[in-house]
Amino acid sequence: MTPRHLISGPAAFLLLARAQRRISLRALFMRKSWITWFVVGFVALYVTTTLLTLGFFFDKFSRLAVPDVPPVRVVNQYLLAAFLSLFFIRFLFQKTPRMKIVPYLHLPISRRSLAAFFQVSSLATVHNAYPLLFFLPFWMRFVVPEAGGAAASSWLFAVLLLIVASHFAILFLRSTLQQRTGLFYALTLLLVVTAVIDEWLGAGLQRTLSEFLFTDILRGRPLGTVWLLAFTLLGVVLSTRTLLKGLRPEPPAPAPARPWLRLPRAAERLLSADWGTEGQLIRLELLLMWRNRRPRHYLIISLLFSTMYLAFMLGPGGRITGAGMSAMVGLFASGGFILNYGQLMFGWDSSYYPALVTRNIAFRTLVKSKLVVLQASCVALFVVSLPLFVLLAPEQIGVHFAFLFYNAGVTSVLVMELAARNRQAVDIGRSGGFFNYEGLSSRHWIWFIPTALPPVLFMIAMDAHQELALAILATAGFASILATNLWARYFAAGLRVRKQRMLAGFREGSP
Amino acid sequence: MLLDFQHIRKSYGAKIALDVPAWSMQPGEVVGLVGSNGAGKTTFLRLILDLLQPDTGQVLFEGRSVAEDESWRLATGSFLDRSFLIEYLTIPEFLEFTGATYGLRRADVTSAIAPFANFLPVSTADSRRYIRDLSTGNAKKVGIAAALFVAQRLLVLDEPFANLDPPSQIRLKEHLSRLSQAGLSMLISSHDLGHVTDVCTRITLIGRGEILRDEARSEETLESLKSYFASEDAGELT
Repeated sequence: MTPRHLISGPAAFLLLARAQRRISLRALFMRKSWITWFVVGFVALYVTTTLLTLGFFFDKFSRLAVPDVPPVRVVNQYLLAAFLSLFFIRFLFQKTPRMKIVPYLHLPISRRSLAAFFQVSSLATVHNAYPLLFFLPFWMRFVVPEAGGAAASSWLFAVLLLIVASHFAILFLRSTLQQRTGLFYALTLLLVVTAVIDEWLGAGLQRTLSEFLFTDILRGRPLGTVWLLAFTLLGVVLSTRTLLKGLRPEPPAPAPARPWLRLPRAAERLLSADWGTEGQLIRLELLLMWRNRRPRHYLIISLLFSTMYLAFMLGPGGRITGAGMSAMVGLFASGGFILNYGQLMFGWDSSYYPALVTRNIAFRTLVKSKLVVLQASCVALFVVSLPLFVLLAPEQIGVHFAFLFYNAGVTSVLVMELAARNRQAVDIGRSGGFFNYEGLSSRHWIWFIPTALPPVLFMIAMDAHQELALAILATAGFASILATNLWARYFAAGLRVRKQRMLAGFREGSP
Repeated sequence: MLLDFQHIRKSYGAKIALDVPAWSMQPGEVVGLVGSNGAGKTTFLRLILDLLQPDTGQVLFEGRSVAEDESWRLATGSFLDRSFLIEYLTIPEFLEFTGATYGLRRADVTSAIAPFANFLPVSTADSRRYIRDLSTGNAKKVGIAAALFVAQRLLVLDEPFANLDPPSQIRLKEHLSRLSQAGLSMLISSHDLGHVTDVCTRITLIGRGEILRDEARSEETLESLKSYFASEDAGELT
């Protein structure tokens, strides 16, 4: 039987809701290990308890930091800044609904109905839920008694609008910036620079604007609410238009249209056939991170950390308080890339791992090429961040030097230990979201503890003998670098033993 | 003996995917592997390339277990599916990479690939595209060409004729015939009975994970296979 009209409106919503309910339930319960449930449960409990406590007892916390300012005023001052921070987190994690629509495109359902349904259903995300864990108790305990029912309701409505506006703004930005990644980096840079200047110069523009907007709403004036409503509607319209446009993507352009994706000529010459298989594998790794969106973002985020965020940490304000913090800065300044990208090595190769293991490539060569890339990343990030240490915190240069060796020698090996056990495929080429965390399991998050914690704890324990501690860390790293060939052999033996399990895992997880 | 299956059994859960007590292949033989979907052909090829671990038994390449001795990788060219391609490389980059893993320098790769140049996607735009942006057929040509130019003693191809345009199918058959005459051993799985009986000197028929027939190609092979597949649903064997 052929339908006479495309399905649209409530009928389409009902049909899609039924299908999506099944899909969501299956996705929630399928292939989740007990450890995943444990970690997710623990994090959920921790976040819920913290936010509820903060909401109900905000006066006790705010009194410690700003004793003379009433709680509602404090929140009003920092509301915009908080949402900007959440905006960045959302940007990293929130997914656009485009990939969910694709399976329905060939069915007789109108595209507008599809877009409308998935736009509305995308609101059911944890990113929209957890801010309420703070705002609802805070509103009940502090805003209602202070401002009265009507004004307090306007205030809560404004907060809800801010959440919804952030949601659709993220959907719009992510779909748009997927096509123009350069713009994303420019915007991030602009945002960070603005925040740093605002903070350093003590202008407090964000705080002033935030307080003006929300105190005005509490005084019963509608202008702020209207402004937020307009912003929300703009987000809805723009994100829906971009979503509909994204359902007919342009065909890919040939490589020369993106010449910046080629490696610099000097690097090409250096890594050409003269280095043999090892050089080719290093080149392959560099091209992997340069030409594929997801690995490239790990690279850029590491660079942003080693420059902008480091400037923020090392700059005025005395943020480095103690040996532990100092170790963390050292660890991430030159080892940020290893900690982010390194854990997923081999997973990045999952789509073509059979190509590697059926060709004449020794596992030892494969591992060594990856270790060399990780070690080289430490040197590159060290060089990039060195001027910041020289200019802003010359007293921390020793830490930076010591952690260069520690990261290149020890952190790279610890990360490789996990990477060589990775059995989860990562889709580097057809990543649905701007950022996605597919391929990262609970093990990856947990492994961060033994990777990052020991040097931090060691530095704290050796607080009275900082120079000795740094010398020990650097020596351990240097010795480990000298043993690179031995490490390569060790990891190669493991890869050989786990070859079939890795292949099976990559096959199961392949898109 | 080039390849030797000894008591191979591979199951996926309760289903036995392949059960081959004995099967072997001599140097210089060109074997066609035929069978219906799910018969066990790809499992057969994956076991040879050590991409799967058998539950029991072993596969030997020149007398050495492929799981324990990796020297077969030096002598074997293979292409089963897109997982054999590195999709973010351009065609020249991929061929150069493949050649380098066999110790070939850039200039050597160019001369080694030259005999197969008429099989590769030829337009300038295609050669500059990443493999992920090529059509299925063109990407397949790249993978097959990479297997052809590095194969020293054994070539393993899974469904090489599927998705290829007719001129490419004809050229591929010509290349395979030429390599066969030069003494290269080949194992080719295919649903295209016409092509496989044209190219191969021996046909191994697999059904429900077992070898049902294994015989030298003759004048009657094509007709016999056709009548087998026509009656397969009824479970008859002619």
